[in-house]
Amino acid sequence: MAELQGLGAALSDAERAGIEVVAVSPDENAQSQRLADGLRVGYRFVADPDLAVTRRYGLIHRGGGPGGRDVPRPATVLLDRDGVVRWVSLSDNYQVRPDPRDVVRAVRAL
Amino acid sequence: MTAGRLAALSLGICVITIAVYSMLLGVPAVRNHPEGYVAAFAIAATVAGLGLALRRRWYGWTALGVSMLLLTLGSYVNFVLARIPDAPMVLRVGEPAPPFTLRDAAGRPVSLTDYRGQKPVLLVFYRGYW
Repeated sequence: MAELQGLGAALSDAERAGIEVVAVSPDENAQSQRLADGLRVGYRFVADPDLAVTRRYGLIHRGGGPGGRDVPRPATVLLDRDGVVRWVSLSDNYQVRPDPRDVVRAVRAL
Repeated sequence: MTAGRLAALSLGICVITIAVYSMLLGVPAVRNHPEGYVAAFAIAATVAGLGLALRRRWYGWTALGVSMLLLTLGSYVNFVLARIPDAPMVLRVGEPAPPFTLRDAAGRPVSLTDYRGQKPVLLVFYRGYW
């Protein structure tokens, strides 16, 4: 969530209106959605409870969760208007997330 | 510097490191350099060792014990636990993203095709509420 808050702050109002941020996690997302609504940023939080979509995207951290469960690996993927992948940020350490400035740069380069 | 002050300095570095890292997790420069807390605990352990070299007192051993414990835990978290093994890359820049439809908290379906021709989409995959 912290990186999503930073991203909301780094984008201008017009840029936030011109892009859809879709946050995917295995959880029920009511709490995240309330927080985003409080920040007045238009994020859509969607649940991927069985990680089917996360797996299709190749973004699984195998055995990285409690009890050796698979969990998503933190990743940020920018798609252009035509749904084509234009920028991907992956980390090899789950504490590290993309710097909002890099995301903003990729958005502006579209 | 006296042995007592070195022990206090070592413990102070440990406390400040934990406080700074947990309070500033939202700041990319802090969050994205987790090796920083490992380095800080290593400095704290070195300072505690210097204090012990001056005088072998209980407070010196305490500072060394605390800083070594944090150094071990921190190294384990950062270099072992948080490490994500390499996996084959599925997404390719320049190729269409795999389509999907998932539901939001209100049960409404959200589909990638909703935005086709409308808006760029930033997909953020994360583990949960943190």
